[in-house]
Amino acid sequence: MSHAASIEISNVTKTYPPRGDSAGWKALDRATFSVSPGEFVCILGPSGCGKSTLLNILSGLDDQYEGLAAIHGRSVGQGAVRRPSVGPRTAYVFQEPRLMPWRTVRANIEFALAASNFKPSEWRGRIDNCLALVELSQFSEFYPLQLSGGMQQRAAIARAFSIEPDVLLMDEPFSALDELTARRLRQQLLTIWEKFRSTVLFVTHNAFEATFLSDRILMMTKGPGGKFCDEVELSDLSRPRSYEDVRVFEKSRFVVERLVSHIGQIDVE
Amino acid sequence: MLLQQIGAQSYRSGAGAKFATLIAAVRASLSGRWGDHLIRTSSILTLLAAWYIGAAYLPASVMPAPHVVARVLATEIRSFGIWNDVAITLTRIALAFSIAMSIALILGFAMGLSKTAECFFEIWIIGAITMPSLVLILTIYMVVGLNDRAAILGAALPVVPILTINIWEAIKGIDQKLIDMSKAYHAGRVRIIASVIAPQIAPALLASARFGLGLIWKMVLFVELLGRSDGVGYKIEFYYQSFNMSEVMAYALLFVLIMLFLEIVALGKLERYLFNWRPAQRRF
Repeated sequence: MSHAASIEISNVTKTYPPRGDSAGWKALDRATFSVSPGEFVCILGPSGCGKSTLLNILSGLDDQYEGLAAIHGRSVGQGAVRRPSVGPRTAYVFQEPRLMPWRTVRANIEFALAASNFKPSEWRGRIDNCLALVELSQFSEFYPLQLSGGMQQRAAIARAFSIEPDVLLMDEPFSALDELTARRLRQQLLTIWEKFRSTVLFVTHNAFEATFLSDRILMMTKGPGGKFCDEVELSDLSRPRSYEDVRVFEKSRFVVERLVSHIGQIDVE
Repeated sequence: MLLQQIGAQSYRSGAGAKFATLIAAVRASLSGRWGDHLIRTSSILTLLAAWYIGAAYLPASVMPAPHVVARVLATEIRSFGIWNDVAITLTRIALAFSIAMSIALILGFAMGLSKTAECFFEIWIIGAITMPSLVLILTIYMVVGLNDRAAILGAALPVVPILTINIWEAIKGIDQKLIDMSKAYHAGRVRIIASVIAPQIAPALLASARFGLGLIWKMVLFVELLGRSDGVGYKIEFYYQSFNMSEVMAYALLFVLIMLFLEIVALGKLERYLFNWRPAQRRF
């Protein structure tokens, strides 16, 4: 199992050292899980449970942790050299679009392609393809500040898929958008994902979102010392899924109940 | 919202209505390209008027009127004597500016990116900024000698600390989120510096360049006045000693015009080219 896993996290503990007069904070306590290739997994948990910390470890941004974190069998961070031409490619969609405002949408995506060592001759085709998937074709020469928040986030999603990632990390990418826009983007994300079949690890505090999107939900307890406490299998919900589908709604209620039983209070949406 | 509407209505219906229309008309005529030109022209005319008023109240030997200065300047320009000094001073400015900017860039980058460098140089920079330029320039003249090298160094070094601080602050203000994004997308160090850090500090660099150029040109005049026998600064000092204020002002005026040209045409163009991604500025 461990060799076939796309993402593997084993006994990962992360402690933020004490700073000034504030005490240290144990964000993750022996977290363990794995994700198979092509699987869409949501991590659901309350704020401050260490969800984002986990993504930062997997993306290599945070290399101060104990335990094992590996993508396609290669451990990340901790001195491991990340060379996209050799290793698996990961893409990251953040809570905010994180586009460079001085570059057009196209040039922003070109940056990711160049960083992942794609040949310049491939750029145009890849960018046009991905922008079409997020319905931004006419906006390729626009600057980010000329676009709405939802459009910017779509551009960020196009950037992520442009490098054809083996693993896509998403950190509450729709939480800053209004619900209608978020719905459209979730639907769009699933459509694109069906085409690319990247492994997706999607972090959210929204139980309905997690149910609608994923094959499997991993639940985390509150911090400090966030742990995985439960797992809900959703592969019986057939795809493509729809917002009107009663089964999705029923399942999400079930997920909320399970989450509440672990956390003890309703502070999740 | 409603309150605002009521307020606006009572304003319009009252005695202020005519006034409001007038203001709106003036505003409308002042907005747009021609309005800008109109404002600029009146700005220059106001300056000239202020100069004439000063000249009318002060003796001609202290403050000559603009047209007198213009006439002197015209003669100087025709005689070519002034160009020699302008060329010498401009060369010194260019050299001093390159030196000051290079040192400030290296120090500012080092201090912005490395904690050790910041710790090490901070006291130097703060100390240097409190040191009077005059002391620095005199020291350099004593150490290096009364020559051109000393003049250029003397003009460059006093400006270094303030430019360093500008660049250092700009680097500290870099958006860490974009850097994280670049790292998450596997970008290497060189690519991050060239594509993510440089564009973010470009505005501050340009502002520093403008600011530095303005400071350097004053410093160059100062070092020329103190220890050189050519250049605009020397000439100004020379004519001042012989109580010839028309010449002093003619030299100064020509130089201001040259620097204005550099500032508006060269740097202004560069700014518009570099920052065309910014949405149009809104004013309050």
